[in-house]
Amino acid sequence: MDVKLEGINKSFGQVQVLKDINLVFPSRKFITLLGPSGCGKTTLLRMIAGLEPVTSGGIRFGERVVNELAPRDRNIAMVFQSYALYPQMTVRRNLGYGLRVRKTPKAEMDAAVERVAAILEISHLLDRKPAQLSGGQRQRVALGRAMVRQPDIFLMDEPLSNLDAKLRVTMRAELRRFHLDLGATTIYVTHDQLEAMTMSDMIAVMHGGIVQQFGTPAEVYGQPANLFVAGFIGSPPMNLLAGELRGDDKPTFASPGLTVQLPNLVAHPPSRDVMLGIRPQDLDLVGDHEPADLRGRVWVVELLGSEKLVEVEYAERKRVTVQVRAETSVNVDDTVGVRLNARRAHVFDIKSGATLRS
Amino acid sequence: MTRIEFWTLTRRLASYAVLSAVTFIVCFPLVWALSTSLKPKSEIFATPPTLIPHAATTENYKALLTGRPQYFQSGGQQVTSGTTPAQFFTRWFVNSVIVTLGSTLISITISTLAAYSLTRFRYWGRTVVPYFSLLGYMVPSIIFVFPLFLVMVQLNLTDSLLSLVLGYVCITLPFCMWLMWAFMRSIPIEIEEAALIDGASRLQVFRQVVLPTALPGIIAAAIFSMIVSWNDYLFGRVFLNSLDNLTLTVGVMLFFEGTHVDWGLLMAASVLMTVPMAILFMALQRHLVAGFGAGAVKG
Repeated sequence: MDVKLEGINKSFGQVQVLKDINLVFPSRKFITLLGPSGCGKTTLLRMIAGLEPVTSGGIRFGERVVNELAPRDRNIAMVFQSYALYPQMTVRRNLGYGLRVRKTPKAEMDAAVERVAAILEISHLLDRKPAQLSGGQRQRVALGRAMVRQPDIFLMDEPLSNLDAKLRVTMRAELRRFHLDLGATTIYVTHDQLEAMTMSDMIAVMHGGIVQQFGTPAEVYGQPANLFVAGFIGSPPMNLLAGELRGDDKPTFASPGLTVQLPNLVAHPPSRDVMLGIRPQDLDLVGDHEPADLRGRVWVVELLGSEKLVEVEYAERKRVTVQVRAETSVNVDDTVGVRLNARRAHVFDIKSGATLRS
Repeated sequence: MTRIEFWTLTRRLASYAVLSAVTFIVCFPLVWALSTSLKPKSEIFATPPTLIPHAATTENYKALLTGRPQYFQSGGQQVTSGTTPAQFFTRWFVNSVIVTLGSTLISITISTLAAYSLTRFRYWGRTVVPYFSLLGYMVPSIIFVFPLFLVMVQLNLTDSLLSLVLGYVCITLPFCMWLMWAFMRSIPIEIEEAALIDGASRLQVFRQVVLPTALPGIIAAAIFSMIVSWNDYLFGRVFLNSLDNLTLTVGVMLFFEGTHVDWGLLMAASVLMTVPMAILFMALQRHLVAGFGAGAVKG
């Protein structure tokens, strides 16, 4: 079932936390609301769930406006960050609660619980209480409780953030797999851009109550709509260099220590303050005597395993991060050149933050 | 023996010594009361005193539970024509049970609902109410007795068990409410939201999710309320006057009136008064600890 958000506004007293949200989440897709804490993503999810009233605007599931519907009438399921298992009930009763209050016949309910428990490999835990489970097991029970009713829409509020790093990676893949098997629309909230990139069909990047960009992971990574998205998506983060745009026919970025032609950019008014964005992967380290776009001194080197991150200081207090292969021999205080793949550079207007495209 | 072993042993012995002393101080009056209640009259003042009665008898208990007046005719003081206080013992016991259960039921119901409201709904004053209610509990109850008595006079409720029930609600409710408030605050709201999404109505959420989760808190508040009501003397003394309506604490004090005190009977009454609370305590102490600890540590 697709979900349409039409001109959604939300205020808590005087504070407006969501501003004119217009989004269409296609049916059966895995959609992520991504943003830093306080950006309004959880509030938006809670409004879709019916736990938070909408100040203005409409939420549609399919063609039906659901603004006024109680959570239980929306046929949704939600996984909470804290899992929110019922502490006094066994795992079996936790899983079956949604069916029990809907007066599902007992045989049918038991079958559904057993089926979900088998999928999630928690059959052996059915008679335990939540307090007797590990974090990962609680996570699965929370997931199972959501799956058991076969809802139209799955809502997940940072479900992996309480797990340790290793389990998080495993669960990421499992969640993605469950999504494909269940075929329900999934709306997933996270502040972790890696989770968003790896799991989603579509990502809505949010900041300050506004949707900054809505697109596929490849789009938000490859064509960031503005400075915020450029800086938020990608690890290590994109280098952002302040400077000036010059030249009409052949637009050129100029800043102290770096002047580079931008082949992708055409016909822009000259003498404009801009920010050049370039990912560490699109920079190359070259020897001191080879031709390079900028030159400087190695400030620090971080080894990530298969890669190294090299921070090069090319002017007073100005640094860029270059990602190179781990074998590359480079030491602190080496004098190096940096070559820039200008075709992969992004240019943003400093005032509006919006990207300048050809 | 090494130095370290010596100190470990010494420390252990010292702690056992302290614990034994405390246990002795706490338990001795109870044991002595039990012992006295089982002694025949002749042995109560015997020198040297005996801890274990030589000729144990259950006469005192029989007298209290069956209310046989002839037993007392020899020495027991007669209060009104032909009756002795001991005759009313079972009656008072029932009265005490009624007011204790009644006031506890009311206190628990009100405090649970109030605490739920205070922690779940937004309205003016919801943050200060719990603290004021705790403040109310700090005021000595003797200050409330006479104003409340005058209220009961106005309501025409004096010398009734209902007046006592209402009086006990007044003194137990503030603390029960504070306790339930602290407990409810520790119940994460997400589990209610999860239940709402699962398909429960507000009432179902309260009954099936909130109440079972709040049970340790409810039990702690109930025990507190029962102890206060069961042990109260002041309110009973002021509010009640006819022999039929007295509660145990007030009634048993009548055993003292007159020149002769039947210690055996008095001690038997004390033991019988202690038994219900002791049983309650032993059955529920596990929940009690969980309940009082709830406000401090988030689950």
